[in-house]
Amino acid sequence: MLQLIISEDFFFSMIRITAPILLATLAAIVCEKGGISNIGLEGTMMLAALFGSLASYYAHSWVVGLLVAILAGVVVSALMCFFIYNLQTNMILAGTAVNMIGSGGTIFLVKVITGLTEGTQMTSTTGLITQDLLMPTIDIPLIKDIPFIGPVLSGHCFLTYLTFILVFVTWVILYKTPLGLNIRSVGENPNAASSVGVSVLKVKYYTFIIGGVFCGLAGAFMSIYYAMGWSQGMLAGRGFIALAAQAMGIEPVGGLFASLIFGFAQALRIKFSAVGIDSNICSTIPYIITIIGLVVFAIRRIQNEKKKRSAEALNNK
Amino acid sequence: MNKKRSTMFSVAKGALAIFVSLLVAAVLVFVSAAGDTVADKLAETGIALKSMLVSPLFKADGSFNFKGLCDVLALMIPIMFTGVGTCIMFSANQFNLGSEGGIMLGAFVTACVAVYAPIKGVLLPIVAILAGGIATAIVLYIPATLKAHFGVSEMVNSLMLNSIIQYTIMFLLNMYLADTTKGQVQMLPIQENAALPQIINNGSKFHVGFIIAIVVVALAWIFMYRTKWGYSIRMIGINQDFSKYSGLNVVKIIILAQVLGGFIAGIGGGAEMLGRYTAYNWKTLPGYGWTGVTVAILAGNNPLFVPFAAFFISYLNKGCTLMATYTSIPSQLIDIIQAVLFILFAADKFLSRYKQKLVVKSAEEEAAIKRQTELEFRGGEK
Repeated sequence: MLQLIISEDFFFSMIRITAPILLATLAAIVCEKGGISNIGLEGTMMLAALFGSLASYYAHSWVVGLLVAILAGVVVSALMCFFIYNLQTNMILAGTAVNMIGSGGTIFLVKVITGLTEGTQMTSTTGLITQDLLMPTIDIPLIKDIPFIGPVLSGHCFLTYLTFILVFVTWVILYKTPLGLNIRSVGENPNAASSVGVSVLKVKYYTFIIGGVFCGLAGAFMSIYYAMGWSQGMLAGRGFIALAAQAMGIEPVGGLFASLIFGFAQALRIKFSAVGIDSNICSTIPYIITIIGLVVFAIRRIQNEKKKRSAEALNNK
Repeated sequence: MNKKRSTMFSVAKGALAIFVSLLVAAVLVFVSAAGDTVADKLAETGIALKSMLVSPLFKADGSFNFKGLCDVLALMIPIMFTGVGTCIMFSANQFNLGSEGGIMLGAFVTACVAVYAPIKGVLLPIVAILAGGIATAIVLYIPATLKAHFGVSEMVNSLMLNSIIQYTIMFLLNMYLADTTKGQVQMLPIQENAALPQIINNGSKFHVGFIIAIVVVALAWIFMYRTKWGYSIRMIGINQDFSKYSGLNVVKIIILAQVLGGFIAGIGGGAEMLGRYTAYNWKTLPGYGWTGVTVAILAGNNPLFVPFAAFFISYLNKGCTLMATYTSIPSQLIDIIQAVLFILFAADKFLSRYKQKLVVKSAEEEAAIKRQTELEFRGGEK
């Protein structure tokens, strides 16, 4: 059993699987810092993945696909922001509406745009995305020759590497730029931010748009690389798992580790079904780990708060 | 603003939301209609919209289609249950989306009991459906208690549970419960006395579950608006901190709302299973839970309006299916219509200017009446 797990291809697939979850987690982290619980991540990613795959097919270029996916992510996020802050829609309901379009509306769009009509379950764009349309992978010189580490770290899609760099970039945006300061202050206390002249609405839009870019990248990763095309249910709840990873990680670096846990769980699922354990029962692993993880971190948070409060109480004496 | 005006505003807002979503549908239909010229496309759009909006209840020659009505009413059954369940959970501000997995679990457990339990007569369907409800209530107790005690998002957990339920059922079905004599994956047929009778036996599957659903709607309304518990649930939804300080047991009520919502979704799954099918064969989540969320929002979280909202959505659903058979436009248009409807109904500021006008008008009228009475009063003094 252990031999199965400690192998080059296991860690390789773990990193590969982690990337889209991490991107969505970063989106969730930025949004949460700005005081937004964005539950529409799943739907936003679905739409981005769909438009990304279609664009790369019609333009015969993954670059166009990637850009269109990002654009789709941004547009959907901006629309959500419009409904939530201009029209005062409940945040969770707006997210649910986006998820509805992401799961059902996308099938309508696929059928209309491509003219594919055979069956609901079969509708996908996997037939359209051929090998040469996929985003390229990169072999890292020097590292690729190191035994074990080489095959694990080298040969990933360039977006995978970008994702891990984006963890640092997100941290810089949040903590080292004026925009990040605004996002955090609006998230913590919108009234205070507004009283010193920050346009809360504008900052909310920026927050949503940054989240949209990350969702767009994640969608593109899924449809123009990982799953080779868009299909219904391709995300399998990654947008929701990202919410859980956000709740555990809170900061970008914490989000990285939380995402790795989920990447590990997913890779484990694939390994387990490969050795003949029932694939349905394996499929539940990531979701069960999500619930356990959420509970463990919630308990830890409560304990920390208690400690902090008692420490404060002692100081005040 | 007086009560009459505020009802008027709600009706106007609802009507406009429906109009806008149908307009969006019409535009989408036009864009995706087959045909090279604008005239061709318009003609196709006309056919599509007619089949979507008219043909569920009327035949091509204009006569009333009774079978169509039965179809629509039958479609209402599962989403009335999930709608009512969602109403109760959302009233307490608990965004538990577990009725999707809940209805699947309810159907599965009910089917298990209906196949294997050695119970005679009418007792079997009753026990089977209740078993489905109780099983779902127990499962939804998990996100409820985690939320109430540790503040873990009930929404994320309920979504995770939906997937866990789906895969676990598939596992059990494939490994232990499958009917090996059939070509597709399904359970053994249920015992004959378990099947719910049809209200009208014309192939629409318009079964007794409909009556159960209406009873559940009525009971849920009484519970929410005429009992202490229902009042507490709504109070927590309006202001949780206030409820806590005024001495309500918030933890208990949050759990109660979700467990009850789960129970209703579960018996919905059970009733649908015994009324519509002869053997359990759901392999993926049925989508009734999501529709239930739309129904709850359209009904303003009031169980009393759930049947109307459910009728409307079922009508559109049937219409979209018919549209897909008569034209080349995919039936999944319903998902986009639903999402647009949903978000417009949920938008507080939608039509806010009109509301503002109504408020101002009411205030001015009240002020005028006040002035009038004051003048009369002074006149009396002289």
